[in-house]
Amino acid sequence: MPPLAELQRRMAMALLRGDGWDAEAPPARRADAAFDVHRDTVLSVLSNALRLTFPTVDTLVGERFFNQAAHAYAAARPPRRARLSEYGETFPAFLGGYAPAQALTYLADVARLDMAVAGALFAPGSSVRRHVAIEDRIDLALPLSLTTLALRHPADLIRAAIEADDDQALAAIDLAPRQRRIAVWRDGRTAVVQPLSLAPGQFLSAILDGDPAELALADVLAEAAAPQAALTAIQTEVFAARFAQITHTPCPDHTP
Amino acid sequence: MPSPQSRVGESRSADPIPALAGIGLRFPHHDHVLARRPDVAWFEVHPENYLGFGVAAEDLEAVRRDYRVSLHATGLSLGSADGLDAEHLADIAELCRRIQPGLVSDHLSWSAASGLHLPDLLPLPYEHETLAVVARNVDQAQSALGRPILIENPSTYLAFAGAALTEAQFLGELVKTAGCGVLLDINNIAVSAANLGESPAERLRSLLDGVPAAAIGEIHLAGHALRRLDDGTVLRIDDHGSPVSPAVWSLFEEAVARIGARPTLIEWDTDIPAFAVLEAEAAIAQSILAQTVRRWGHAAAC
Repeated sequence: MPPLAELQRRMAMALLRGDGWDAEAPPARRADAAFDVHRDTVLSVLSNALRLTFPTVDTLVGERFFNQAAHAYAAARPPRRARLSEYGETFPAFLGGYAPAQALTYLADVARLDMAVAGALFAPGSSVRRHVAIEDRIDLALPLSLTTLALRHPADLIRAAIEADDDQALAAIDLAPRQRRIAVWRDGRTAVVQPLSLAPGQFLSAILDGDPAELALADVLAEAAAPQAALTAIQTEVFAARFAQITHTPCPDHTP
Repeated sequence: MPSPQSRVGESRSADPIPALAGIGLRFPHHDHVLARRPDVAWFEVHPENYLGFGVAAEDLEAVRRDYRVSLHATGLSLGSADGLDAEHLADIAELCRRIQPGLVSDHLSWSAASGLHLPDLLPLPYEHETLAVVARNVDQAQSALGRPILIENPSTYLAFAGAALTEAQFLGELVKTAGCGVLLDINNIAVSAANLGESPAERLRSLLDGVPAAAIGEIHLAGHALRRLDDGTVLRIDDHGSPVSPAVWSLFEEAVARIGARPTLIEWDTDIPAFAVLEAEAAIAQSILAQTVRRWGHAAAC
């Protein structure tokens, strides 16, 4: 019997990579069948963990394809933590390079959206907010669950059609690559997915990355082809959005 | 990241889990339990599904307001030669602080090696080296959690040739060395015995002989599946996906007749049925516990 650490290292490699079970670490009875039970468990638990995080991908590709992709991912990127809700952080990128999925150019973006939705559901509720100060008198309070995505494919439309079980809507989606900005946040027990126009998406991404709001706004307006339209869109899609809470402290000079 | 106010400053005291039948709570039943508040003595959850923030964690806090809760971990990897994942242990400790569970348990198994985590309860060779590793890890876990934990006898598919100790001896020594308790999984006894060509009743008796009755703090009951192998033999799979088998009910009766009533859990993790099915299984367990209490005159202290 090898030392325990060596035994466990060999067994872990054999389970994840499908390597043969080393005869120097011999279990006794019906070893191959018993070993298969453990291998099946490891792979099925990992597949199901990914399925819970990436339900739209699962529905799009079907159980068999999803399991094949999940098993390939498990071999390439096995989990390092027991907290499987966090497993699959690199699954979208993996799908982007997964040869059997090359024809599904939108799949990685769908996975990114699925992961953002799952992340929102594991975030605190909307009562917990981050505060963005604007010129010291305006407080923009955003849910801690809020994230933005910059995608090249209409993953939000694909997800909505699948959630609605609407094959017609799914078939009608224009899959041509086009820049899309999407906000995702948690509202109660569900996650909200909302497309954003370019300027609001850029502004929101910048302030969520920690940029000062004044600087973010100036940068977005400087790049905008139509600054006034961009400002209006930011007012509508960020400051007046469902997720936003605005508090304004009046300037002392304006007190009656 | 700011802490949600709902989780700050909680000082809920731990409620001991009574020697009654409880039910393993899984996500598909959250809505039912929160809306209907069914008459269940206690619930047990896998803490790995409730770490951090989010909908599931908030559900568990809501359940805890009305029920006693036990935490049954699957990811501490108490048998890992590499030691415990300190971050994961801290996460479990934080959940314990918030939920104040009546019991905390994990398995006599390993899942982590060489920086990888395999989500299964993998078998340990019952050697003296292994005993030292598990005792050290259990001690670390108990120190971090500030309480003794229960260690569950595993389902066995692999038996390591020439092991120095039996499972019963190993658990008995672990209880003495680490000061932990034992979670007696009756289904695992049935599964292991069948897979290793042993008598389930003998395996149960061996465990009850090897582990002090006072150290057994909880019992688990579940269903298992049968897989027919190419050679015509059958392997039993501990899948928690069916009702408790008659053989397991019989072993349960024998166990509680010997050690007295204990908190007893109905586990169901795959092909999860309607909640009423779990309630019916718990009612059977409760009737057996009640018979034992009548016979003994009281529930055994645990």
